[in-house]
Amino acid sequence: MCGGNMSQTPTASNTRLAERGDLATALGVDTAGEEDVTWTTLAGRVEPRSDSTFASRGATIRDDLGDRLDPDLIERERDRIAAEIGRLPDVREAGVPDEPEGLYTEVAEPGWRPYDHLLEAGFFERLDETLPRFTAEHVETTARELVLTDRLSSALDDAGFDEGEKTALLSAVANDSERLSRWVPSNQIPDDVEFDTSTIPPLHQRAMGGALLWIRGLDRHLWQNEVLVTEEILDDAAWYVKAMLGGLFVSATAAHDLATAERFTDEQLTAALTAGTAVQIVSQEELLHAVFYITDEMRAPSELR
Amino acid sequence: MALRNDRAVQAARDIELVEIDDGYTLVGGPEESITQQHDSDRIPEVDVDQEMLSNSGEDPESWLMYGGNYEQHRVTTADLITPDTVSDLELEYELSVGTGSSMEGTPIVVPGDPPVMYQTNGPNHMKAIDPREGEVLWSYTYAVPIGVELCCDDNNRGAAVWGDKVYMTTLDSGVVALNRYTGEEEWYTSTADHEVGYSATWAPVIHDGTIYTGSAGGEYGVLGFEAAIDAESGEIQWQTDTLPEDEWVGASREHGCGTTWMTPTIDEERGVLYTAVANPGPDFDGTVRPGPNFPTCGTIALDLESGEFQWGFQSSPHDVWDYDAVAPRVLLRDVDVDDGPSEMVVGSDKTGWVYMMDAESGQLHERSQEICQHINMWEMIPHISADERIPFVPGAPGGNDWQPPSYNPETGYVYVVHQNFPQDLYWRYEEYSEGNPYWGGGLDDPASEMPDEWNESITAFAAVDPATGERVWRDWIESEDEFYMWGGSMSTATGLVFNGTQNGNLVAYDGESGDRLWEHEFDVPISASPMSWYDPGEEKQYVAVQVGGSGWLRQGTRGDTLAVFSMGA
Repeated sequence: MCGGNMSQTPTASNTRLAERGDLATALGVDTAGEEDVTWTTLAGRVEPRSDSTFASRGATIRDDLGDRLDPDLIERERDRIAAEIGRLPDVREAGVPDEPEGLYTEVAEPGWRPYDHLLEAGFFERLDETLPRFTAEHVETTARELVLTDRLSSALDDAGFDEGEKTALLSAVANDSERLSRWVPSNQIPDDVEFDTSTIPPLHQRAMGGALLWIRGLDRHLWQNEVLVTEEILDDAAWYVKAMLGGLFVSATAAHDLATAERFTDEQLTAALTAGTAVQIVSQEELLHAVFYITDEMRAPSELR
Repeated sequence: MALRNDRAVQAARDIELVEIDDGYTLVGGPEESITQQHDSDRIPEVDVDQEMLSNSGEDPESWLMYGGNYEQHRVTTADLITPDTVSDLELEYELSVGTGSSMEGTPIVVPGDPPVMYQTNGPNHMKAIDPREGEVLWSYTYAVPIGVELCCDDNNRGAAVWGDKVYMTTLDSGVVALNRYTGEEEWYTSTADHEVGYSATWAPVIHDGTIYTGSAGGEYGVLGFEAAIDAESGEIQWQTDTLPEDEWVGASREHGCGTTWMTPTIDEERGVLYTAVANPGPDFDGTVRPGPNFPTCGTIALDLESGEFQWGFQSSPHDVWDYDAVAPRVLLRDVDVDDGPSEMVVGSDKTGWVYMMDAESGQLHERSQEICQHINMWEMIPHISADERIPFVPGAPGGNDWQPPSYNPETGYVYVVHQNFPQDLYWRYEEYSEGNPYWGGGLDDPASEMPDEWNESITAFAAVDPATGERVWRDWIESEDEFYMWGGSMSTATGLVFNGTQNGNLVAYDGESGDRLWEHEFDVPISASPMSWYDPGEEKQYVAVQVGGSGWLRQGTRGDTLAVFSMGA
């Protein structure tokens, strides 16, 4: 079993300077020469920009879904997700799971209940019907609203994300519009593609369900492939799980807000729903490369030859 | 009777493989299946029982199933042909099978006086042959219905025997049982609807009166399964979907593929079967099927009695490169390791490595050194650029496509065929609009620009030590026509390994050193896997191989030869 080094900050969570520069540029903020580009510094310098489309989409979602959701269930499970995020250092410390179902299966577990609830409520389908696909403009507006949403920022603080990690999540949204554009709402895929579109789940369901499957699948993957696994792979696994849970936490926060008509503006609601999904998408694709696709260059040296 | 008067051969010859938008279909076939008897009385009426099947790998006179034995070692214990004598191996005869189509099969031989060979080739044509004389005793062509969809060719890779019957999978996703003494049809069972894309091309395997067979159609959005069929009645006993519901998001599983399109491996001691699991669907757009897509591109173990899932291992999770695991799994019982498992399932996959898995749990004991090159592997996720193309190795044919490995008990090594050729994968970013197809990407073979790192050898044939994963030796093979090596290998207990190349050479290697000790050249590619048996009546050891181009990419010149070599005592 591999042991973790708790004092080590996962490399994958530290967005590179260039990426932070891209993030600032995407948000229209001049940070030339600055090294410390963070969520907080950006929040103080991003200009608010009114977007009536964002507001109307948020209002529509609130009207359609507000009374279909169980705020108590969502809040309870959201808190449990935050607790699992807080437990991740211990999970990382444990190293390679010692059975094919265990550490990460437990981490994913509180995510499945809001997923099932949102599924039953028709939440994912309604988002596909209401929100646009990921265009560069939609992603930029999302990032702009996100960084100005103090309540979400403080919620992420409470969930255990430090400034660098929060900025990494923001960067995942703002800097990946082209990648995100490959994920198309199921109702926008035409019927005559080469595969049957009727069985493709809604985009936001794919993002959340996929993230949960990846987290749960880590137990089996790491346990089966222990001879290939390195400390760096385990570090990356822990970070991308945290990032996916962060995305899920944002989605759950937005769902809770619309169920309780709390404090998000309609623009912020649209942004939070979009961003939560975006972070889950980007993080699961990064996890794939860093943890599941183990090349010879990445693998632990063989002890048998 | 000459083959030109053989109605079954003529019917097979009349069937035309026609290219369509999404692969191939067949036209011109007979309305009813046809049996043509020649000298069927020559077949000794001795039923094949379980003891014969279980001992097939140990009996030098037998090759009673596709993989030689249940463990799929593809090894003969006949010992006349050795590293010292192989230079005297001579061509006994060449038999024209008369059909001129896909030639990917391995014949089986039932011992007797005379022995009887059952040989199949595309499209669903079978013969009973007296292998001493090279004479056809009966022939049979299955009436493939109109409308089959085939991704790759009209392959059939072999037969299975039990009792008084011989069995073959059919291109319309069925199994047909024939009286093996007469060639007459006994029953037919469909395992799935061919009109939605299911098909079947592999040899089934039979244990304890049950036929085990799989599923194909991974380019057509089917849901993969493994099935058990009563060998006497044809009744389906169980049919297990390969994709567990809780491993997929929503209904994406329904067209998630995960087919099992080669012969499963039987573990008689554990009462389980192991089979490779192919690609997820759709092939190239992973965004509509998020998650690992377990257990696609991997290996699964199922209970023989119930079909219940035991374990699964993936070599390319969430695959978008068509890296389906295909080649038959090889079961090894006594691997000499210090403290790891001694019973292993060996999977040689398109990813370009060989995986040694604990037979009990599926946990990886070790992954081999690379067999083919790895250039730009597993790139292109995320989809960062609309126009970017990356030539990558292994390409979609692998690594190891369906070509069966062999295990040599003399050397303790497993022998594998891996392709080594750059292809281009590109992601097409298109605005969706009604009437325009969305492919999500495409594959070009060959790549538009060959990477500098590529060594210009299209195939590697290699020996792997399963205890350590060491690649003990590797023979790089070039092809002027850029044909892939499309057949698997056969080992002998005397330490030899036979393999046929795309250049038409049947080669006998020294299994220990990789030295080429003997070769015979044909004028067309070999796309099949050789087999061998000893005939006490003739006091000869024979080696048989089918000869002719086949496959889904640049298949090579067709042929219709069954070549039989021999060596006397």
